[in-house]
Amino acid sequence: MRKTMVIAAREYRAAVRTKTFVISLVMLPILMAGSFLLQRMFRGIVDTQDKHFVLVSHQAPRPLLDAVTAALDAYNRTDSFDKETHKQIKPRFIIDKIEPAAQSAAAHDRLRLTLSDQIRDGQLVGFMEIIPAGYKHGEGNKPRPPADDTYAPLVLRYQTNRPTFLAFSRFVEKVVTDSVRAQLGKKAGLNRAQTLALASPVAVEFKGLVKLDAGTGAIAESSEQGRFAGVIVPGVMMMLMFMVILMTATPLMQGIVEEKMQRIAEVLLGSVPPFELMMGKILGMVGVSLTIAGVYLGGAYWAAQHFGIADSISIELLIWFVIFQALAGLMFGSLFIAIGAACTDMKETQNLLWPVMLLACLPMFLLGNILQEPSGPIARGLSFFPFATPTLMMARIASPPGIPWWEPAIGVALVLATTLLCVYVAGRIFRIGILLQGKGARLGEILTWAIRG
Amino acid sequence: MAAVIIDTVSKSFGSHLAVDDLSLEVPARSIYGFIGPNGSGKTTTLRMIMRILHPDRGHIRVLGREMLAAANDRVGYLPEERGLYKQMKVHDLLRFYAELKGFRDSKRAIADWLERLALADWADKKIETLSKGMAQKVQFISAVIARPELVLLDEPFSGLDPVNLDVIRNAILELNRQGVTVIFSTHDMAVAEKMCDYIFMIYKGRKVLDGTLASIQQTYGQDTVRVRLANQGVPLADLPGVLQVDDFGHCQELRIAPHTEPNRLLECLMARGVVQHFELAHPTLHEIFIRIAGNGEHQ
Repeated sequence: MRKTMVIAAREYRAAVRTKTFVISLVMLPILMAGSFLLQRMFRGIVDTQDKHFVLVSHQAPRPLLDAVTAALDAYNRTDSFDKETHKQIKPRFIIDKIEPAAQSAAAHDRLRLTLSDQIRDGQLVGFMEIIPAGYKHGEGNKPRPPADDTYAPLVLRYQTNRPTFLAFSRFVEKVVTDSVRAQLGKKAGLNRAQTLALASPVAVEFKGLVKLDAGTGAIAESSEQGRFAGVIVPGVMMMLMFMVILMTATPLMQGIVEEKMQRIAEVLLGSVPPFELMMGKILGMVGVSLTIAGVYLGGAYWAAQHFGIADSISIELLIWFVIFQALAGLMFGSLFIAIGAACTDMKETQNLLWPVMLLACLPMFLLGNILQEPSGPIARGLSFFPFATPTLMMARIASPPGIPWWEPAIGVALVLATTLLCVYVAGRIFRIGILLQGKGARLGEILTWAIRG
Repeated sequence: MAAVIIDTVSKSFGSHLAVDDLSLEVPARSIYGFIGPNGSGKTTTLRMIMRILHPDRGHIRVLGREMLAAANDRVGYLPEERGLYKQMKVHDLLRFYAELKGFRDSKRAIADWLERLALADWADKKIETLSKGMAQKVQFISAVIARPELVLLDEPFSGLDPVNLDVIRNAILELNRQGVTVIFSTHDMAVAEKMCDYIFMIYKGRKVLDGTLASIQQTYGQDTVRVRLANQGVPLADLPGVLQVDDFGHCQELRIAPHTEPNRLLECLMARGVVQHFELAHPTLHEIFIRIAGNGEHQ
């Protein structure tokens, strides 16, 4: 044990005393914040070049077309400019209207093909067809008599080769929807407020739980931010644990390969048995991972206080985090170190690493499901799969209203048992692989080492 | 008392038999030289003594104990493949190795060793800034810093210039004078002849020589004649009783058959020219090595 601790201490010092460690520790939040800030900074910088569209009306009601035309004029004149600086901030929509005469289905297809070709040539961004209910090909371009179903239901068909540019389609959709509602409301004798109420769903106000202020004795509502804590805290904890595992286990594996390449391994084996050497390295890595997690959790706690959701991060939660982080470090560390020992250069590690990465990433694939329903069957079931337990159990503990104490306790037992198995198997692979030079081991050989020792 | 007892030990790697039924006894406080061609099993034997490798068969007792797995703090080891943490400072690295061997209060010992090997000025420098020779000296110190009773040195002189070679050789001799048992492997037969109390040669995994230099040479007898003739280039291979001639330019070494009469040979030589030097001698270790490894004589 003494030798293990000497190795662990050296590994820890070697990892945290480097400039790379400090830089990576600081750079990660800077990069995350930077990407957020950049997105905000560049949000206002848009392409303001005129965008050309064609609006095809298949016998749409005249008032509707007039409403769209008027709205587009207003947008191009005023809404596409900043009200204060009068600088153009959005592209103008230049519209050509086509109101085709009676068309056969073939003629209609030819029109769409012509417009599509113009989009391909870059003359147009897209074209929108307004197709009233009951429109039939070849009925002629005669004005329809007003009828009860004039405005319902309409179909808007939009075609473009730039599906991410949604400003125009959304604009037309909103104008047409508002116009239809206004006309129908007017016909029904409803005023604007009544029409809006009819068309809008009843809003539900989501609030956090009220609490008793111990100081004043007053009953206080939770903050607006507190409402989101139930999603943010589990998500952040899960991501943090996953990130820290990768940040520390990968260098551990690289370190072993480098020690083999630089012939340091045999020097060490002259002083310390392979198992103690391996355990020392893994414990050093766990120390580094807890340091990183501690720094980030400290920062997260400060941020939580700043945003008024510190109540969502309890001491119990932090203790569980430390337990699961340490176990995850031991478990994944033993797998990564075994891979490093079995390979003779970094290229070889890639082939063996993917199954382990798959295990580590498994909870991330289901992140949405888990945050939405932390005690649902998927999250609950998967949280008892040892390789997913640390991250998932953590997310579930952090999600209100939490989980019964025995669930994380069983999780710890399962992860502990799996960790012991992983360390035992890794020890067997490490003992043989660490002196391997030249060509790396094949999967079959590694399995033989693991089984036979 | 024996520092190391190897008893009928065998070790295979796959189908390759690296060490075959080897038995050896290394007396305490002796210097024992392991010689043999590349791939003959020297390093495997040293690794088995260190318990880095486990024998397939047989037993090894080190300092009176048959260890099962633990690296022994009483044994120092310098592997053939040198490797040091390049980012560590010399002093920190040596302290780390001392702590691994359970030697905590190592500050004074580190300073002494650095002073003895002319590395005191480099104590706070990173390993990556050292020359190859300096790094090898640091590696040597790391093997002996914890005051071991037994040191195993795999090719301790390879790659060293003559000055550093002398430094390491003197350090080894000093350790031995202090009572440390030294086992080292080498390809330098002259060094082995001069330094070792006992010499062990392994060839294709089997022991082919073991004993003092004198006893080994005795088994070969005085079958070598060194001669120098005034007129160079005279053919000597056809002389009666001469089995082999090694021509070194200014002198020749003749290997003679058993029971060859030296006086008769001298007469024959005198008939060929003016004999300036005639010496009846035992074969050198180098010659013995070549005879075994080059010609497979032991077989």
